[in-house]
Amino acid sequence: MSTGGISSVGSPRQTLLTAGRSLSYPPPEWKIFAKFHALQENAMPTPILEVTGLTKTYENNTQAVKGISFSVDKGEVFGILGPNGAGKTTTLEMIEGLRSITSGTVLLDGIKAQENPYEVKRRIGIQLQASAFFQNLKLTELLEMFRDLYGSDVDITTLLADVGLAEKADFFVKNLSGGQKQRFSIATTLVNKPVMVFLDEPTTGLDPQARRNLWDLIAQIKSRGTTVILTTHYMDEAQFLCDRLAIMDDGKIVALDSPNQLIRQLLTRGFQPHSEIPPATLEDVFLDLTGKTLRD
Amino acid sequence: MNQNIRSFLALTKASMKMYYRNKGAVVFTLLLPVALMSIFGFLSSGSGTLLKIGYTNHSTSAMSLQLVEELKKTKAFGAVEMTEEQATEQLTKGDLDLQIIIPENFATAENGNPLASSVMTRYNKAKPQTGQIATMAIVQLVSHLDRAFTKSPTLLDVKSEGITANRLGYFDFVLPGILAMTIMQLGIFGVAFSFVAMKASGALRRIQATPVHPVYFVFGQAVVRLLITLATTALLVTLGTYFFHFHMVGSYFSFGLIAVLGILLFLGFGFGIAGWAKDETQVAPVANLLQLPMLLLSGIFFSREGFPAWLKSVTDYFPLTYLTHGLRKVANEGASLSQIPVDLIGMIVWLVLIYALAIKVFRWE
Repeated sequence: MSTGGISSVGSPRQTLLTAGRSLSYPPPEWKIFAKFHALQENAMPTPILEVTGLTKTYENNTQAVKGISFSVDKGEVFGILGPNGAGKTTTLEMIEGLRSITSGTVLLDGIKAQENPYEVKRRIGIQLQASAFFQNLKLTELLEMFRDLYGSDVDITTLLADVGLAEKADFFVKNLSGGQKQRFSIATTLVNKPVMVFLDEPTTGLDPQARRNLWDLIAQIKSRGTTVILTTHYMDEAQFLCDRLAIMDDGKIVALDSPNQLIRQLLTRGFQPHSEIPPATLEDVFLDLTGKTLRD
Repeated sequence: MNQNIRSFLALTKASMKMYYRNKGAVVFTLLLPVALMSIFGFLSSGSGTLLKIGYTNHSTSAMSLQLVEELKKTKAFGAVEMTEEQATEQLTKGDLDLQIIIPENFATAENGNPLASSVMTRYNKAKPQTGQIATMAIVQLVSHLDRAFTKSPTLLDVKSEGITANRLGYFDFVLPGILAMTIMQLGIFGVAFSFVAMKASGALRRIQATPVHPVYFVFGQAVVRLLITLATTALLVTLGTYFFHFHMVGSYFSFGLIAVLGILLFLGFGFGIAGWAKDETQVAPVANLLQLPMLLLSGIFFSREGFPAWLKSVTDYFPLTYLTHGLRKVANEGASLSQIPVDLIGMIVWLVLIYALAIKVFRWE
C-alpha cells in the first residue's frame, strides 16, 4: 500500500476537469500501484477512518458529541448531515486533530489522532468552515507557503489549474468570488497529496452555478482516489455527492447509510410525501434559464 | 533541508510579504517616527543658537580671555557677555539656558604657583536637560584649559579627544528618546493589531490545520518585526546624523544591542496582548493603557529630573525608562554596556516577566 501520496482507484490516467485543460494524473509510474489498488478495492472496501465511541464534553459540561462510531471507506465520499449545533464540526475537528478528544478513538490511515495529531494532519487536507487566509499574499504564494509547511513538492501551477484558477494565480484571495474562494480553499487542502480531505460546508453561500462547479471538483478529487468527508445543509448535494452519509442530531448519529437506502428505509416505514413531487425542481428551472456557466 | 527550518522560512517569507504589501503599516512604521524626528531636528537646529549662555568675566588673565574666545567660537552656544545680575534675571525668565561666572583669580599664579579657582555655572532647574548638557560642555572646555594652564600631561584623560560634548544639543538628547518610543510602538501596536486580526479572521487557525505548530508562525512574525524595527532605528539614526547632526558618542554596536533588547522586550508586550485578546476591540484599550504612561513618563522628550520624587522612583522601573536611559547613556555619554548594568538588568527582568506572562495568557483562538 502506498502512503503519503494520492492513491488512485479506477482508471490510472485520468483527464481532469476545468475549461478543457487536460492533464494526466497520476503520473504513469503510478500505474502499477493503481492497478494493485483497484484490485484490492474491488475485493473489499478498506476503512481509512475508524471512529469509535467519540465523545466531546466541553468545560461547561455540555456534551457536543455523545459517543459516536462510524467508519469511512477508502475512496468514498462520506457526508455528515445535521441541523446547526448537532456536533458536525466538533466531530470533524476531533478527527482532524484540531480539537482535543474527551474519550473514544479515531484511527485515520492507521494512526491514532489523539496520540499523533501532527501525523494525522500530515496526511489529510482540511478546509475549515469559514476559510480565511493571510492578506496581501497572492494565490501562488499562499499555495507555496502551504506546500512548504507540508514539505511537499507539488506543482503549484498544476494545482491551480486543477481547481480552475490558473488565470488567477497572481490575485489576492480578497479579489476572488465566493466560488473561487472555495475552490482555492480546496486547492490548499490538496498541496500535500492527502489521503483524505475534510470539507466543512464547502458550498454554503454559493450561487447554483458555483455550487454545481464545486460538485464537479469534489467528484474529481474522489475520482483520483482521495477519500472525501464533507458536511452540508443541502440535501440535493448530499444525494448527488455522497456514497454514504451519517445524519447527526444532538451529538449522536441517528442514521448512517447510502442516500438511496435511507430514502428506501423511510418509504418502507410508510412515509407519504406532503405533496406531489414534480419531476423537476425550481433549481432546474433556474439553471435552465440562467445556464450552467460559472459567473465568477 | 530540515522540515522545521523549511516551515519557519516559509512563514517568515510570508510574514515579510504581508508586511511590505501593507502600505498603511509601512507608512505608520517609517513616516511617523521620521516626521517626529524631523520636527525636533528643525526645532533644535533651526534658527540661530542652541544654548543661550550669559557669561560674566571677572578675570583679566589670558586664559580667561581664551575661555571666552572658545565660548564664542562654539557654534552651538550663543554666548553673550552680561553682568551677573542681568544673567540671573534672564535665567529666571527662561531667556538663558546657562549662566557662567569666571572668577577674578581664574588661571592666575602666585609666586609661579598656579592658583585653584572654579568657574561657576547656573542653569534653570525647569530645563535641567539643557542646563546639564551646557554644563558638560563647559566642563570640557575648562578641563582643556586646565591642562594647558597646569602644563600637566593628559595621562588620565583618555576619552577627551573623542568627546564632542561641546556640540551636544537637545536633538542629541531627544533622538534616543524617539528611537525608544518607536521601538515601543512598533512592538506593541505594530504586532498586536495585525496578529489579532489574523487570529480573529481564522487565518491562524488555517495554519493550525497543517502539521506545523503555529508557534513557528509567531517566531516568523517576530523575526520580521525585529528586522523592520531595527532597520527603522538604523534609518532614524542615519537621517538624524546626516540632516540634524546627531552625535553618537558611544559605540554603535552597544547602541544596537540595547535597541535589539528593547525590541525583543516590546515584541513580548505586543504578542502578549495579541495572544490574550480575542479581537481588535480588546487590543486597543489594553495597548493604550500600557503605552500611554510610558510615553509620557519615561523621559522620552524631557528629563525626568523635574518629577516629584515618588513619581520619579515609580517611573524608574518602567521598561521604556530603562531603554531610553540606556540608549541615551551610550549615545550622549559614550557609556559602555558594563557602565549601564541597571538598564540592562531592568530590561532583562522585564523581558523574562513579559514573556512568561504572554505564554500564560496566550490563546490560539
